[in-house]
Amino acid sequence: MAPLSIIESLRQQIASCEAQLQDLRQQLAEAQDQYQQREQDRWRQVTTNDPLTHDMTYGIHDDFRSEVFAALSQVEEEHPVSRRWPLDRSEYKRYGRQLIMPEIGLQGQLCLKNASVLIIGVGGLGCPAAAYLVGAGVGTVGLVDGDIVEESNLHRQILHSTVKVGMSKVDSARVSLSSLNPNVKIVPHPSRLTPESAISVIQPYNLVLDCTDTPASRYLISDTCVLLGKPLVSASALRTDGQLIVLNNPALPPGDTRGGPCYRCVFPKPPPPESVISCGDGGILGPVVGVMGILQALEAIKVLTQNAQRPLASASSTPGNMTSEPLPRDPPTLLIFSAYANPMFRSIRLRSRKPKCATCSAQASVTPEALNSGSLDYVQFCGSVNPVDALTPNERISVENYAKIRIEVNPFTGMTPSKDSHILVDVREKVQFDLCSLEGSVNIPFSTVSGTSSNATNGTDPGNEERGWVSALRKPSDKPIFVVCRLGNDSQLSVRKMKELGLDYGGQRWIGDIKGGLRAWRENVEPDFPDY
Amino acid sequence: MASSKLPPGHFSILYFAAASTFTGKSTEHMPAPVKARYLFGKLEQSYPGIGEKVLSSCAVTVNLEYIDIDGDEAPHLNLMIKEGDEVAIIPPVSSG
Repeated sequence: MAPLSIIESLRQQIASCEAQLQDLRQQLAEAQDQYQQREQDRWRQVTTNDPLTHDMTYGIHDDFRSEVFAALSQVEEEHPVSRRWPLDRSEYKRYGRQLIMPEIGLQGQLCLKNASVLIIGVGGLGCPAAAYLVGAGVGTVGLVDGDIVEESNLHRQILHSTVKVGMSKVDSARVSLSSLNPNVKIVPHPSRLTPESAISVIQPYNLVLDCTDTPASRYLISDTCVLLGKPLVSASALRTDGQLIVLNNPALPPGDTRGGPCYRCVFPKPPPPESVISCGDGGILGPVVGVMGILQALEAIKVLTQNAQRPLASASSTPGNMTSEPLPRDPPTLLIFSAYANPMFRSIRLRSRKPKCATCSAQASVTPEALNSGSLDYVQFCGSVNPVDALTPNERISVENYAKIRIEVNPFTGMTPSKDSHILVDVREKVQFDLCSLEGSVNIPFSTVSGTSSNATNGTDPGNEERGWVSALRKPSDKPIFVVCRLGNDSQLSVRKMKELGLDYGGQRWIGDIKGGLRAWRENVEPDFPDY
Repeated sequence: MASSKLPPGHFSILYFAAASTFTGKSTEHMPAPVKARYLFGKLEQSYPGIGEKVLSSCAVTVNLEYIDIDGDEAPHLNLMIKEGDEVAIIPPVSSG
C-alpha cells in the first residue's frame, strides 16, 4: 500500500519505455534508409556519362536504359531475363494501373523513375503530396522540414501518426514513405530552408514543391527556382480556402519571356505581416489542405511526364531536363479552391512573366550572388509582427494575481472575492469561447470590439450588436473590467478600444488585460484548462 | 457564393481569403462601369483600410483573367469593368 511509490515506479517505467521506443524509431529509420540506399545502389550503380561503359555495368543508369534496350533489341539478344525490360517485374505490377494510361505509359513511368522532386515542408500539403509522388514511383524524393511532429498536426498531416509525436517530421515521413514504396530513394533535409542553403539544397532536384507556410519562404523558394531553372508547384491553404500555381514552367532563364511566371509575377508585394494568419491561429480543415497537396502531386506528375508524350524520335532527350526546347503548353493558371463556395474551384488565367519582375525579367535584381551573400532579407521583405505591447504595466495583471482576485481580495479595489466583484470579458471569437471558457466570463469577440467605431458620428454603421456590448459594459460603472483572450494580444487592443469608447470613465474605472491570456492561465494556474 | 441575380447595370465582385474576412462578405454587386484604376478607390470608400491591409498585395481578376493594375504604368489601368463582369479579389494565402 504505497500508492505514491507505485505511481513513481510506473512513471519511470513509462519514461524508460518511451526512451526505448524513441531509440527503436531512430534505428528503424536509419535501417530503412540504409536498406534503401543499398537497393538503389544495386540498381543504379553507375551514372557515368561515358556511353561506352553502359553495357559493361550491372546496373545501367535509368536515363540510358530504354535507349540501350531499344538498340540491343535490333540484334538477336542473348541477355539475362532481368535486363530484358526497362522496368523490374515488381514495378510493372506496382505501377500497372498508371502504366496503362496513355498520359503515362512506359516512357512516362521512366520519366518519373528518373526524376527527383524536392518537397519543402512536410506538413498538411507536403504529406499527401509526398505520399502520391512516392506511390507513383518518382525515383528520388527530398524532404525539407525543421519541425517536429505535434499532436495538433495529426488531423491533417497524414504521414505522421500518434506514436510519432515528438519525432522530426522528416524522419516520421521517411518511415511512412519507405513502407509505402521501398523503391523510392528518400533524401532527408531535416532543417528549415534558408537563403544561404537554398541553392545547394534545391540544385540537385528536377522539380520543387512549395508546401511551406510563410510568405518569406514562398518568395525564397520561387526566387531560387527561377535562378536554378527548376519548375515549381506552389500551393497553400487556410481555413476553407486553397491556392495552387505551377510556376516557372517552362523554366527558362530570367529575361526569356517564353518562360512561365514566378511567384513575384503573380504576387509582387507580400501581404502586410499583421494580416498573415497561420493554421494555428486561423484554423484549417484537413481535407482542404489535403486536396491542395494532392493537386500539387498531380501537377508534378504532369510536369515530369510532359516529355513522355512527345513522338518517340525525340523521347530520348534527357528526361527531367525541363529547360530543353519549350513545348506549347496550357497557359499558366492560378487555381482557387473554396470548400464552402459554389463552384468550389475557379481557374484564373495568368499572364506570362511580368515585364519588370524582380526575379524573372530582363531587369531582375535577384541574382545567385545576392542570394548567397545573404543580402536578400526575406524576413525583412515580408515584415514581421512584434508582440503587441499596447498597455502600461498598470493596465495589466498576471494570471497569478488574477487568480487571487477570484479567490482572495482584489489588490486594486480591495474588494473581497465574489463572482460579481468584476467583469471578465473574453474577446476570443465565439466558436473558441464555446470550446472552453472561465466561469463567469462574458464573450465579446475581438472582431466585434475592433469593428466598433469609437466615433459615433462616423459613416460606418456600428450596428445593434456592437452598440449593445458597449452599453452593457457601461451600466455597472463601478466594476473593474478584466479582458482575456487566447494569447494576450487581442486583449490589449480590446482594452485600448474600451478606453477610447470611454468605458473607463476617464480613469475612474480600472480596465486592463490578463497577461499572456488563457495560455498563461493554463500554464500557471489551471493545468486542466483545455489546450487547443 | 455565386450570387443569384445580378441587378442590371452592375458587376459582381468576389472576395477570397483575407478579403472575405475584411469585408465580411464573399460576394456583392457594384455599379458598372468602373475603370480598373478606380476599383481600389471604390473599395476603400466602402471598407476603410482595405487598401493598405488587403488590396496592396492582392491579385485581381476580371472574368477569370488576371489583370495588372499595380503601379502607374500597369497595362490594365484603363480596362473598363462592364455590366455583368465578375471581378475577384485574391489575396495570397501563404499557410499550409
